[in-house]
Amino acid sequence: MQTLKAPALHVPRISALALTTLAAALLIGAPVLIALFTGLVGGGGEAWSHIVSTQLLGYTLTTLGVIFFTAVFILLFAVPTAWFISLNDFPGRDIFEWALILPLAAPGYVIAYAWADFADVAGPMQSLLRDLTGLSARDYWFPSLYSVPGLSFVMACALFPYAYLTARAAFSNLSLCTMEAARSLGASPRRLFLQVALPAARPAIFAGLALALMETAADYGAASYLGVQTLSVGIFRAWHSFSEPAVAARLAFLLILIAFGLQFFERLARGKGGIQQTATRWRTPRRQRLGTRAGWLVAGMCTLVLTLSFFIPVARLIWLSAETGLGQGQIVRPFVNSMILAVAGSATAFVLALAIVIGARQNRLSQFVGRFAAGVGYAAPGIVLALGALFILSWTGMSVAGPAALAFLVWIYASRFTAAGAEPLNAAFSRAPASLGNAARSLGANRFSRLLRVDLPVAMSGASAAAIILFVEMLKELPATLMLRPFNWDTLAVQAYAYASDERLAAATLPSLLITAAGLGPVILLSMQLTKAGQSRAAG
Amino acid sequence: MTKSMHMISYAALACLLAACSPETNAPDTAAQPSGTAEGNAPATASPEAERESGGTLRIYSARHYDSDKLMYEAFEDASGIRVLYREAGANQLLETMKAEGENSPADLIIASDAGALWRFEDAGLTQPLPEGEFEGRIPARLIEPDRQYVGLARRIRGVAYDPERIQPEQVDQWQDLADPSLKGEICVRSSTNIYNLSLMGEMIEQWGADEAEAWAKGVVANMARSPQGGDTDQIEAVAAGLCSVAITNHYYWVRMHESGSAPTREAAGKTRLIFPTFGDDKGLHVNITGVALAANAGNKQAALDFIEFLLTPEGQARLVDETKEIPVLDSADRPTGLDLIPDFEDSDTPLNTFGERQAEAQRIFDEAGWN
Repeated sequence: MQTLKAPALHVPRISALALTTLAAALLIGAPVLIALFTGLVGGGGEAWSHIVSTQLLGYTLTTLGVIFFTAVFILLFAVPTAWFISLNDFPGRDIFEWALILPLAAPGYVIAYAWADFADVAGPMQSLLRDLTGLSARDYWFPSLYSVPGLSFVMACALFPYAYLTARAAFSNLSLCTMEAARSLGASPRRLFLQVALPAARPAIFAGLALALMETAADYGAASYLGVQTLSVGIFRAWHSFSEPAVAARLAFLLILIAFGLQFFERLARGKGGIQQTATRWRTPRRQRLGTRAGWLVAGMCTLVLTLSFFIPVARLIWLSAETGLGQGQIVRPFVNSMILAVAGSATAFVLALAIVIGARQNRLSQFVGRFAAGVGYAAPGIVLALGALFILSWTGMSVAGPAALAFLVWIYASRFTAAGAEPLNAAFSRAPASLGNAARSLGANRFSRLLRVDLPVAMSGASAAAIILFVEMLKELPATLMLRPFNWDTLAVQAYAYASDERLAAATLPSLLITAAGLGPVILLSMQLTKAGQSRAAG
Repeated sequence: MTKSMHMISYAALACLLAACSPETNAPDTAAQPSGTAEGNAPATASPEAERESGGTLRIYSARHYDSDKLMYEAFEDASGIRVLYREAGANQLLETMKAEGENSPADLIIASDAGALWRFEDAGLTQPLPEGEFEGRIPARLIEPDRQYVGLARRIRGVAYDPERIQPEQVDQWQDLADPSLKGEICVRSSTNIYNLSLMGEMIEQWGADEAEAWAKGVVANMARSPQGGDTDQIEAVAAGLCSVAITNHYYWVRMHESGSAPTREAAGKTRLIFPTFGDDKGLHVNITGVALAANAGNKQAALDFIEFLLTPEGQARLVDETKEIPVLDSADRPTGLDLIPDFEDSDTPLNTFGERQAEAQRIFDEAGWN
């Protein structure tokens, strides 16, 4: 403390901070980088050339196809709902405002189990169709969920809230001046949306979309259940069928390239497009009440999105478990285990995200290294991180057992998800105006005191959002947990997956519902917090 | 200062982890009061010492049944040996064991399908079981020729068909499924699935690669839809009328009959199960759930004790109670629902051929366009 006050030590202090950031970045990046390095150095051999010649193009195109269709579905789900909720009043608006975030609580693979069962040829939808029409199962065409668009639909159901959240924030933050100016110039609501609001909100929408699409590309659980051959599934297959972890790592490299491509695309959209909001008074434009018919139409649209993405899958699962009766399986221990891992993991990731975000504000190198490490971890599917972890194990001669395995898993979680926490944190820190920091500095506050008394309080809302997102994501994590958990240690996600992949969907319903329920509380909290923040901004 | 802030955060995290570890490791360490590092203990302690202190058996299991936990508990009670288990897909366990190498704590591997067990053997992760231990008790064919693994329960790949559209004679040999008369009638899962790979492995053995490939092409031509879902989904598709022939392991069909859900039982009731043969007097595709001794097993004796337990009537009953597989001991009680399946006779194809033909089987499926 004493020495910190001495001006002579100013420079070393910065580098100590930078060092912390670099250490955090190293910790986050290590598992993926090790996996990639081993993949590129280790000989791919015959298996690699076999995959390159027969599978690679298919995997890549399928992944790109899934990304494309998911993006379309997400935009359809997220943008219109966010627009009307931000700018209009209609029946049920106050409920939809927060309820549309609920699907975040359900993992993609759980939505896949439920929807696949619901829409299957033997499921209630098609049975009803046959009963009503008297057709036989061979007489009609029905869209299959076991397809690229099917998987995309499932992923969009699970992930559209990311884009909904960013779009809603952007629409609510549209400068009143811009909107009023446009309106006074006689712009119709449609033109207002297409030519003013949408371009202005585009960077924010793309930010949420990019996050959701990276998750989509990294998904394993839903894609493998629905039998869609994405790169992520290919990584598993290369590893297992050909016993070539190096080949799996090479495929992962491709997947990470795609993810960086998405990020690049997002940056591009953010940089070039996006009408700069220069007005400093950021006011939510007063919401206009929609006419009765339009109001109910919009309410109907919101209901439809929520029903497709959340109510149908959850109701189907509840129905199945009611129909079959609950199994005799343990459920308390897996629940506690999931909680422990998610809490420990999100605490670790939160600290690392904080280190990266604070470090990024110090110098450009820290910023780049931190972002890169977090981005690489987030872009890689959990399986690749598990692969890196196994490489480390085999070098160090350790085995996956005991508390060490648990600590290992927490590390992998942090490595995978720190980016998801760093984004909201970073956004929150950026919200603190520079003038505030300068004022504090002129009052003689040192760096740490400024961080503690100015930056942190301002960033608080972002911090809790980051913590909640980390917690919910980790609750849903599957592949790394599956491979690295200690003995006698099941989580809800592992149970749900094990039952479902063994064709015991009824037994999988309870853990699936519990993951969703456990995530629901935090998600509602997040939702209310964001809604309240929006309201207070509107009121201020 | 920032540094100390991090220190505090890490300390908090450490507390968090520490707080959870008693809960976590209660079952892990209970048998090891000294808290020696997992996995290393058995290598240093003699088997006798292990037994005296109760000992610990570490099982890598590719099964995931609630009844397995009861099975482990029953063995713990009977033997005083503590059971630690890790459950994951066979492939994931395989990769974990490979990465762990010599330090792998695994004593015993349990997996379904001889093809899956063969992968462990192929990777050098198993060791031969002692000679003369099981002869006479387990049918000879269910003991792998090099004693690398042994079958403790049987599973049969067969066909569920719609009796209103199909006569049993139309599907009582595997060859029939490639017949053009079944065009648009067959539902089956993806060829990457181990059950299909092992079935194809036996076909290559029984018929030769050319005939097996012609069969695969014939089936692809007869498919009602592209392969998707699991075996249960195929049976349900037959019940729903989309197709009339589904390839499935017997126990999925039995489980549907025994399901708590009335619509599921109803669906199963619309179908019949038959076990096609590979030709006259050539037997059926009978596969196993089996066990293998891990190459670096630290507590070999406990592993053998556990196999012995699984060969008692009680062990057998617990092994198949929920899975609806067929016990290998004739004296063991059969699980409910097994009375529904037809009589069967094994083929005499050795178990190891399923695995050894795996790569060739996948190539043939790929050639035939069976995704």
